[in-house]
Order: sequence, then C-alpha cells, then structure tokens
Amino acid sequence: MKKATSPKICIVIPAFNEETTVGGVVKSIYQALQKSKYISEVVVVDDGSKDNTARKAKQSGAVVISHILNSGSGGATATGLSYAQQNGFDIAATMDADGQHAPEDVIKGIEELIRRKDDLLIGSRLINNKGMSKVKIFGNKGLSFITYILFGVNSTDSQSGLRIYSRRALQELQWETQGYEFCSEMLWRAKQIGLKIGEYPIKAIYTEYSKGKGQNNWNAVNIIKSLLKRRIAEIFG
Amino acid sequence: MSRYLLLLLLNLPFILAAILSAVTHYKLGRSTRRRLVLQLAVWLAVLIGLALAEPIYTWLFTNELTATEPLSLFDVVQITAVVITFYIANRTRLKTQALERRLQDLHQELSIRLSDESK
Repeated sequence: MKKATSPKICIVIPAFNEETTVGGVVKSIYQALQKSKYISEVVVVDDGSKDNTARKAKQSGAVVISHILNSGSGGATATGLSYAQQNGFDIAATMDADGQHAPEDVIKGIEELIRRKDDLLIGSRLINNKGMSKVKIFGNKGLSFITYILFGVNSTDSQSGLRIYSRRALQELQWETQGYEFCSEMLWRAKQIGLKIGEYPIKAIYTEYSKGKGQNNWNAVNIIKSLLKRRIAEIFG
Repeated sequence: MSRYLLLLLLNLPFILAAILSAVTHYKLGRSTRRRLVLQLAVWLAVLIGLALAEPIYTWLFTNELTATEPLSLFDVVQITAVVITFYIANRTRLKTQALERRLQDLHQELSIRLSDESK
C-alpha cells in the first residue's frame, strides 16, 4: 500500500528507435517501483522514431509522448521533464532506453536525492567503472574534463543519462542545446541558478545491443564544438 | 567636415541603438546582468576607439609606430560598413535564438498536449 504522503515520481525515458529494448526497460522499472513506496508513472518520449518504439512502450504500460520531429536527446529529455513539471510530480528521473541502467540504481538515486536534499543528482558510471571499456572511460573522462574547463562544473560523469531531479530543478532548470551536449549544458545551467548538484555511483550494463547503440567517441568532437559555440554565444549575449 | 568626425557621426546611431537594445533586453528580464556588462563593454570599446581615432593615429604616427596614410573617405565607408554588419549580425543572431527557442517550446508543448488527448 502506497502512503498518500509519498512523493510522486516520474520516470522519463527518452527513446529513438529503441523498439528492441524499450518494452523491457519500462517493465523492469515498473517492477522495481512496485516494490518501493512511491506513487509513480513511467513516461517514454518517442523522439520521432521510425520503428515501433512508441507502440512497444505503450504496450508495456508507459505513457508515451511522441515527438513529431526528431529533436535529439536533449529535446526529448526537456519534453519529458516539462510533462513531469506540468503534472505536479515531486521528483523526476531520466534513464536510457537501451537498458544501460539498472532499475535499482534509479530507486537508489531517488532515495539519495530525498536523503541528501539535492536538486540534481547524477548517476556516475565512473566512480566505480567496472565493466566499462577503456575507450568509453577515456571518452567520458575527457568530456567531463572539458565540461569543467568550459563551465567550471566538476563531475566525474558529465554525460550520464541517469539523473534525478527535485521539484525545484523541474521548475527552474532549462537548457538550449538539443543533442547529447545537453548533458554538460544542463550541469552548467544548474550551477548558474544555484541548484545543489550531487553524484552517486551506479553500474552500467553493457550488452552487445547497447554497445552498438552507444555514442561513438568521434561524436565527442561534435559535442565539444557545440559546447564551445554555446559558451561563446553566452559571452556575446 | 573632418573625416574623423564624419566617421564618428555615421557610426554613433548604430552604437547607441546597440547599447539601448542591450539595456532594454536587461530591463525586460530577457538578458542577464553579465551579458549586459559584456555587451556594454564591447560597444563602448568601439565607441571610444572611433572617438579617439584621430589622437591615436597622430600619436602612433609621431612615435613612428605606423606609416599609413591618414583616414580616407573610403576608410570611413569601410569602417562604417564593418560596424553596421556587426550590429546586424548580432541582432539577427539574437532573433534566430529567440525563434529557435519558441519553436522548441511549441514542439514540446504540442507533443505533450497530443499525448494527453490520446490517453
């Protein structure tokens, strides 16, 4: 029985052509949430997929928001969090649709956010990076370093998709980039508006599928270019 | 009329318009204090540079730090064109950014409303 005073939790899963895994991810997070005390809803933001991502997510019991146009990971995450804010959720969590994140880590993050009273909590794969390839470790550490140089935000895993947001973060946090670079920009904007940012260790589950779907390290070049552009644009108004 | 004065008079309206626009944006809450300070610093630097163009040139010339010809009418036109281009480019960038933001918000809101209707 869920207590009436339990915080309302919204799990946001941005997805683009993830029909293979999205159903399983939704089911597993629902199972984990059922064991917890939280009133919850799982929202899949289908970012203009060409496959059956939306149908599979709906069949698994998620609320599906379909983007008419493909906007990128940042745009899909913004839509999901805006839905959570408009529907009065107290806490939101974002996780990847490729099955990279363990549902237990999401629940653990929600509990940590409540306990620490943070506004934005990042699930870091690099605090304990067992199972992660050296190339991925190098790529992620590099981007975290660049995030620190450009924006002064110190994070061990600035690109992590598993993030937990307080109500304040849902109301105040906004970013402009639409692609993967939003991960770094979000941290910067959170710092600018004075949100309390924290980190906690998570494990990353890499399957052959998620390895294939994951970001190419060369994509980091585009991310850095976009972040630099954003930083310079900020200087000139 | 002195060419240096002409240069200043031709550019002054654009510099004042840019400063006014930066202050208005800040006062209407569309810009941060830091952005305002940076915008003011850039445009005031341009204004001071143009206002002091003649003494700067004289000083450089007498100290043999430059051997260029004094300001020609073509130079006046060219510098004015650069300032106007900078002004227009900055305004266009701001407008594009605002439009991009509105389009994103529209797309986001439309997607949420359509999903609410299909529930």
